[in-house]
Amino acid sequence: MISVSNLSKQYKTVQVLHIENLEIPKGQSFGLVGNNGAGKTTFFSLLLDLIQPTTGHIKNNDVLVHESEDWKPFTSSFIDESFLIGYLTAEEYFYFIGELRGQNKADVDALVSQFEDFFHGEILNQKKYLRDLSKGNQKKAGIVGALIGNPEVIILDEPFANLDPTTQIRLKKIIKELAETRGVTVLISSHDLMHVTDVCERIVVLEKGEVIMDLATSEATLRELEAHFAG
Amino acid sequence: MIKHFLTLEWKQFFRASYFQKGIAIKILLVLGALYFGGSAIMLGAGMFFIMREAIPNTDPIVIVNNVIILWFLFDMVLRFFMQQLPVMNVKPLMVIPIKRNTVIHYLLGKTTLSFFNFIPIFIFLPFSIVLLFNGYPFFNVICWFLSVVFITLSINYLNFLINKNNAVFYILVSTIAILIGVQYFNIYDVFEPIGVAFNALYNQKYLVVLPMALAGLMYYINFKFIRNGFYLDDAVTKKAQKVSATDLSWMNRFGSLAVFLKNDVKMIIRNARPKQVLMMSFLFLFYGLIFYTQDTYKQMPAFLAFASMFVTGGFLMTFGQLVPSWDSEYYKLLMSQNIPYRKYLESKWYLMVVAVAISFVLSTPYLYFGWKIFGMIAAGALFNVGLNSFITLFGGALNRVPIELNVKAKAFSNTQGFNPTQMLIALPKFVLPMLLFYIPYKLINFETGIIVLALCGVLGIVFKNFFLSKIESVYQKGKYKTIAAFAEKA
Repeated sequence: MISVSNLSKQYKTVQVLHIENLEIPKGQSFGLVGNNGAGKTTFFSLLLDLIQPTTGHIKNNDVLVHESEDWKPFTSSFIDESFLIGYLTAEEYFYFIGELRGQNKADVDALVSQFEDFFHGEILNQKKYLRDLSKGNQKKAGIVGALIGNPEVIILDEPFANLDPTTQIRLKKIIKELAETRGVTVLISSHDLMHVTDVCERIVVLEKGEVIMDLATSEATLRELEAHFAG
Repeated sequence: MIKHFLTLEWKQFFRASYFQKGIAIKILLVLGALYFGGSAIMLGAGMFFIMREAIPNTDPIVIVNNVIILWFLFDMVLRFFMQQLPVMNVKPLMVIPIKRNTVIHYLLGKTTLSFFNFIPIFIFLPFSIVLLFNGYPFFNVICWFLSVVFITLSINYLNFLINKNNAVFYILVSTIAILIGVQYFNIYDVFEPIGVAFNALYNQKYLVVLPMALAGLMYYINFKFIRNGFYLDDAVTKKAQKVSATDLSWMNRFGSLAVFLKNDVKMIIRNARPKQVLMMSFLFLFYGLIFYTQDTYKQMPAFLAFASMFVTGGFLMTFGQLVPSWDSEYYKLLMSQNIPYRKYLESKWYLMVVAVAISFVLSTPYLYFGWKIFGMIAAGALFNVGLNSFITLFGGALNRVPIELNVKAKAFSNTQGFNPTQMLIALPKFVLPMLLFYIPYKLINFETGIIVLALCGVLGIVFKNFFLSKIESVYQKGKYKTIAAFAEKA
């Protein structure tokens, strides 16, 4: 689904990302871990064509990301709060995204209603603008917004941060289900090694912009990761 | 303790983004400040002589006193829309060991140094000095001037209450409405006793204690108010806004543009900054009055054309010049969503066209100045729709300043969207119509000038798709730069 070749990003003389080759097959749940400054967000930004690669390219379903916009209809993402429109209510935001992705109100309602227990009654019918919600609730709205319109690729940057434990567990279930039963390619990054190993079939560790580990998740993965990060 | 606060303020001031700008902008800003300061001083100093010329039988100070209430009302309105309350910075001070009272005094003291409190000093100090030079009694003038300053301060504190407390706001608005109504329907001349009161302030110098007491009282009320609400969920924080239910589904008839139009309308009515711009653009409607009423300009029709562009173009210029910036807070979303740039731009264009149309309808009272003037406004409207809209959108592509939507722009400390390229882009918006009107006017006649101006607008509308494509490619090219710039603040 996603293939990266010879991708690098430099700011002046500092190289922040360099990935020689990376293939992510369709339906894989892919986890990206690494300390601050490892290049996780840079990689996601490149995937979304928010920054320009210095060399190389990313192909998303055979579409060259930095040249064509045809990847947009089947790709969705939630990176940070700048993916929310602060002056809309959660419902209005969902409908807005829905309209952009060719979904009518009923479609959106049907999808969103599946996430009622995820929302925990704090998102819908709140008569509050998104900017007035708490950080965690904003995140919930953003994540569900990224699920609208049957995307084939979903990119979530640190989806577990700021969420309460109940929601973290629910989110893990949602992500697993997306990849396993619907064949959605899910890319997430996280600082929480436990969550990532729970959710992802494959985990890639970035350090200073380079891929230094590429693991198929197994029983041993968590220990391996912990050993690595303990230094 | 105060010393710490002062250093904080100092750093806040000099590390603010507007001081990090290029030298050219700094010079322009200083020139701008000098210009406005100078005009205020000139106005203040000249006021005395102008009034003595215009109404020779009445003492200028009496005239000023009779109408000064209008100034104060204007001041109040201006503040309500423009003055940014310094409340938000208090949060970090709440948890460190400083006495609450000190923080509150500091907070209130800070509002005292607001730019708005200096306007009257710029105007009335020179006026008072002129009075003194003309042999008016020293103490009366000084006390009168102090009264004005104290009343200004009272308004300053009142504004704080108005902004924090809806009840105060409604009481004030209804009082003013009633007063104006009473005046308008000639039931009672409310301005007369107010004028008498202000004259009394001048004549009885000891009465200066009244405004002084008023300012003190307002300060005290404010102090009490903040003291009682000095908690994160009370007076010190921004209130979570109530959702205004807006059913905009009727806009769906605009087809694929409806998504964006609906969103833009919500953006404008739910955020402080665009609302402010909306108000400003409304004021532009009256711009023509300055030019059409003066005989000097009747001889210089090019300037009439200049004014006509503003009458219908207020929103277009004030809102349009910040076009991608309005969406800066969620620009990444727009860029990674399934959105063609074209649709985005087209929706902004329609918004501007609608605004021009509304302004045009509202400008019908200008018929009073005759068909020629109105024809010019109509031609100006067409030109705005047909060409200025595109020039504005094009200029927007070069503007990469993020905007905080729900924060009021600060007067004079705001350079958002203010850069040399922007100014260069703005020039043709006025110069072009002036030339397009003036040349045929000189060569043939007034009517031809109007027709040429209007035709250019129509031509622009005909070539709409061409222009939009060009602008689209400029936006495309600047995409990464724009995203990076918007991410800096957001």
